[in-house]
Amino acid sequence: MLKRHQTRVMVFCQLLVALFASSHSYAIPAFSRQYGTSCSTCHIDFPKLNDFGKAFKDAGFKFPKDDETFIKIPPVMLGSQAQQELWPHTIWPGSIPGLPPIGLRFNQFFQVTSNNRNNFNSQLAPGTVGPFIPRTDFQPGFFSIFTAGNFGSGIAFWVDDDISVSGANANGGLGDAYLRFVNLSRFVKLPTDSLTLKVGQFELDLPFTQARSYDISPYDIYSQANIGAVNPLYPQQFVNNSFTLAGPGRGVELSGGHHYGGYRYAIAVVDQNTSGTPPTNYPNVPSATGGSSGGVGYFSDSNFKDLYGRLAYRFNLERDPASRHEVQAAGATGPRDHTYLTLGSYYFYGRSVQRAPGSLSNTSTPTIVLTAREPFYRLGGDFDFNYRKLDIYGLYMYGHDKDIVPFIPAGFTFPNGFISGSPATFSGGFIQADYLVYPWMMTIMRWDRVASTSDFLNGIGASASSPPPTPFFSPFSSVRNRFTPGVQILIHANIKASFEYQVRPKQVVYNPGTTVQLVSPFRTNTATAALEFVY
Amino acid sequence: MKRNLVLAVLMMTAFVTSEAGTISGKVSGVAGESVVYVDAIQGKTFPAPSQQPVMDQKGLMFQPHIMVVQQGTTVDFLNSDSVAHNVFWISIGGNKKLGHNLGTWPKGEKRSFKFDTSGVVPMFCNVHPEMSAFIVVVPTPYFATSDQAGNYKIENVPDGSYTVTAWHEGAKNQSKPVTVAGDGKADFTLSK
Repeated sequence: MLKRHQTRVMVFCQLLVALFASSHSYAIPAFSRQYGTSCSTCHIDFPKLNDFGKAFKDAGFKFPKDDETFIKIPPVMLGSQAQQELWPHTIWPGSIPGLPPIGLRFNQFFQVTSNNRNNFNSQLAPGTVGPFIPRTDFQPGFFSIFTAGNFGSGIAFWVDDDISVSGANANGGLGDAYLRFVNLSRFVKLPTDSLTLKVGQFELDLPFTQARSYDISPYDIYSQANIGAVNPLYPQQFVNNSFTLAGPGRGVELSGGHHYGGYRYAIAVVDQNTSGTPPTNYPNVPSATGGSSGGVGYFSDSNFKDLYGRLAYRFNLERDPASRHEVQAAGATGPRDHTYLTLGSYYFYGRSVQRAPGSLSNTSTPTIVLTAREPFYRLGGDFDFNYRKLDIYGLYMYGHDKDIVPFIPAGFTFPNGFISGSPATFSGGFIQADYLVYPWMMTIMRWDRVASTSDFLNGIGASASSPPPTPFFSPFSSVRNRFTPGVQILIHANIKASFEYQVRPKQVVYNPGTTVQLVSPFRTNTATAALEFVY
Repeated sequence: MKRNLVLAVLMMTAFVTSEAGTISGKVSGVAGESVVYVDAIQGKTFPAPSQQPVMDQKGLMFQPHIMVVQQGTTVDFLNSDSVAHNVFWISIGGNKKLGHNLGTWPKGEKRSFKFDTSGVVPMFCNVHPEMSAFIVVVPTPYFATSDQAGNYKIENVPDGSYTVTAWHEGAKNQSKPVTVAGDGKADFTLSK
């Protein structure tokens, strides 16, 4: 019983961690130091970028023009510029930032959860003391370190790492770490900025970033894994794909165009991250020192590489042609983001690895490992419309996983192969509206929607001791809607107070293993306040 | 004869009062540049200078940070950066009705404004909030900017009695009566 309670608490905590942990966000105070300028030069409400910030990022963390005239702390030259004439008899001279461009970020949450939060206790036997989830709670957030800049020659770098996650300093992990070779097109006589290469671990070029989102709660559709129906009460699927679009990709990305106007494309080839072997102490991996085992393991268990592609076009809708083609539109009141409409689409293709013990003949013990590589894809479209202080954007996604089910011939104990089953699919997306009431206050309204039949089926009759994956124990229907009004206030340009109220999807609690409902449908709404700063 | 004597005395008086002197001293209590100027002189007006000083925007900074001009001066605002800048002020001498937005313009272009009212003009760029400057519009041509140690010297001041004011960014103004007879002295201790 105790274990059951612990599991339930753990799952709920995972829910909260998933809620907060997914929402990394970064602004780069190192750039403020380097250029002697305010965060608001690049950010509307950090880390939300304005058009100039997008141009700064596109250029490889540099001012798009005459960068050297803005730098207040001169870079350290790794060889004089004149050395370029000696190449290839010398190393091509580069530079490193004059100050280590390190930034730190800390955040802290305070949460109020509705009275329904302990409804799952109704699954307990009468007289059993269940776990008590407090109505109010302080939630430790992140302590993160990040660095970014430019090494000269158009080579940008980025590394971020969570030193502490939810107050546990051992639970951090590498966020993104990459080198970006900006405007390689100049070497092959292609149009300027039409070809850039990124190598390392990075967030895919998503229509709207999750890794650097300014919202407290993540976009539901970005964290949607596709777990097929595994509830024994219903026909089961063999899909167990933990891939989420918000996860980091390890590989290379070719991209071109600009985020602040015109076309933008990205093509990435990345490792599978659906069921990779944990990268610690894997016994069959040669170690770095030559041993036959003890290596750090692989992040992917397949040679197959996933593919991601994105194509978008941003129409800058300024009437004045000069403003339309500049990085920012400019009027009497100062440069500002253009009035624009961005339309885009994206596609991700991968294979989810599933393994099962099998046998080619009727044996009492399995003799082989059967491996199914279930093709899956995610595709969708997105839009972003900005008019002065109002920004409305949204995204639609459709997810499809082919279901390859182990086939057990008559008289066999174990499967000897696979047959096709019903694909596991889901769809959904979000629409968000941001309105800048003042330069220091932004109001937010978001609607998240996920439709997943398998999530719904998996929740029916689920037990708290064996719950389906977070974020929902038992959704009330296959469609989950979440409405999230919020407000964000800049206390200083680098200190922010945020507030969100989440109207969460309806849930029900079943008698474990049955379809008998124990309570009326309810919502576990939450109000969350956050304080964060970067420096 | 008596009439000639009176005329001679009057001419000598006029000669003496038009002699150029100086007002010097030290501004203490604050660090960095201060502005010291002679306040409006009753019954006297001064023609506006024809020179147009330039307030530049370069490297995400106003340059210079503090500019002193005589009332009636036209100042040119230049953008030397490859990013667009804006220039606006919310008041002149604390009078918010005199706030003005000069607009936004790209590199190499400039706009001008004639400052007809005396007072301190805090200047901003609404794109880059870290940028600020002050134009101190003074009513007379008798003004000076102190050195970093606070020492100042206003030259070519005719002999007479004046009110002299010291201004420093973020500090309270201080005014003192000064009599110039060849040289005048006025020290100020400002506080924030």
